[in-house]
Amino acid sequence: MRQMSRLLAAYIRRYVLQWLAARSFVLTLVVDQGITPLIGLAVWAAALPGQPGIKTYYVALLVVQLFTVSYEQHTFSNRVYEGQLADDLLRPHPVLLASLGENIAVRGFHVVIGLPIILMAGWVAGARFGWADVALAAPALLLAAALRFLFTALLSLSAFWTEQAHGITGLGNTLIFLLGGTAVPVALLPGPLQALGAALPFPAMLGFPAEVAAGQLTPGMMLSGYSWQLGWIAVSAALLLVVWRAGVRRYTAVGG
Amino acid sequence: MLRLGRLFLRVVSLTIQRELAHRVNLFFQATLALTQVAAGLAALSVIYTHVNTLAGWTAAQATLLLGIYEIVSGLLQAFIEPNLAFFSNKIYGGELDDLLLQPAPSLFTASFSTCQPWALAEVGLGMLIGGLSATHLGSIPTAGGIVAALLLLLVGIIIMWASRVLLASLAFWAQGLELSVLYSGWWQLGRYPITIYPGPIRWVLTYIVPVAFIATFPAYALTHPLDPLLLAGGAAAALGALVAMRLVWRAALRRYTSATS
Repeated sequence: MRQMSRLLAAYIRRYVLQWLAARSFVLTLVVDQGITPLIGLAVWAAALPGQPGIKTYYVALLVVQLFTVSYEQHTFSNRVYEGQLADDLLRPHPVLLASLGENIAVRGFHVVIGLPIILMAGWVAGARFGWADVALAAPALLLAAALRFLFTALLSLSAFWTEQAHGITGLGNTLIFLLGGTAVPVALLPGPLQALGAALPFPAMLGFPAEVAAGQLTPGMMLSGYSWQLGWIAVSAALLLVVWRAGVRRYTAVGG
Repeated sequence: MLRLGRLFLRVVSLTIQRELAHRVNLFFQATLALTQVAAGLAALSVIYTHVNTLAGWTAAQATLLLGIYEIVSGLLQAFIEPNLAFFSNKIYGGELDDLLLQPAPSLFTASFSTCQPWALAEVGLGMLIGGLSATHLGSIPTAGGIVAALLLLLVGIIIMWASRVLLASLAFWAQGLELSVLYSGWWQLGRYPITIYPGPIRWVLTYIVPVAFIATFPAYALTHPLDPLLLAGGAAAALGALVAMRLVWRAALRRYTSATS
């Protein structure tokens, strides 16, 4: 375990240095990722001007979005398509450890580079956070980050079977946008969809931590949200393991 | 001009023939595009379960706007993005040399050498959404309104093309500056009426980066009394965008030194 942590730290260091060279590109990624929560903020602030809590929610959502971004369709799937996975398989550690290291490094850049945007949005929107709510949201944010990585990695493994991994992951991101709390806060979904929405994995990786940080949930709802997060993490991790094993058996490297 | 039109149709025809050899891919990409449009429509529908108007726009008007946005977005994805996205790679990889050697204006070959036919599904769905919502407006659009909306739609398409060329041209001056992702993010701002944004942002979206012309102004022209000032502003914006595109492209090419030998 300790060796695994050291390896992960080494990968994070390596990818921080690698992405440092592409920081202007990361800035464009940050704007691209941040734009949907900001549009959501503008739309719902215009739609429901009497609810200041909604602005706080969307500022929190911007933080969650930047903290949980995942690009495994690029960092992993492309390695399958280009044959580089053959090298990765020879390394004496789980292949996805490198993807996880890159994921954490890229997220670090997103949060750091996105900080001025977050502060500006918070100031303009007049967002107000309570320390207790933020403290309660911190574990939810970490679990959301873990779940979104597992979810994106799972969809990216489709690269073993099809050349459409980018499209499949795009479909997953569309669902996260629609049902995860960006297009519409889960609490504002129409009646029957609300209960279903809360049980799906999408709010667990985006909207739930933002709702906790904005102080919009009762203790019971919070407990239920944490349970869904842990449940979906267990399901996604198990699926990832099964699909990975099946995928590697199918993988054929060309060259030598 | 006629020759370029024929050339463009030939490019589209050849690309469709090539793409039809990979029907599953074509079908999947088209389905993906349609899913994204459906997600946007669903999000808009949920907003209107809570309000009757959004920043002065009724549900039918905002849906009409969304339809127009999807039409222009589909055209962007079908014809412009496959040519100008990540254009810096073409400059530094030497691919631009091939485009410059072809017997057609370089701006044309750089912008329209290939296309993504699946994105036309988005254009079709945009037309359907726009057409259906137009029947729910409560009042029949006037002939003048329809002409004004079509003219402003053309303005939106010209601005879309010109802005994409201008952004791609930056790579001639700043090596490594790749703003394709930024453009796609910025483009999203046109999805809703620009009146939802706070004053300074609305001003930027109208005069500096005229996202308002993509969908808000055409939809406004169709649903409000004819505004000559809006039409005049649109004509000026389109003309300005075309002149700026041409000047910057020529300056960029003067600066260009071939990447290959």
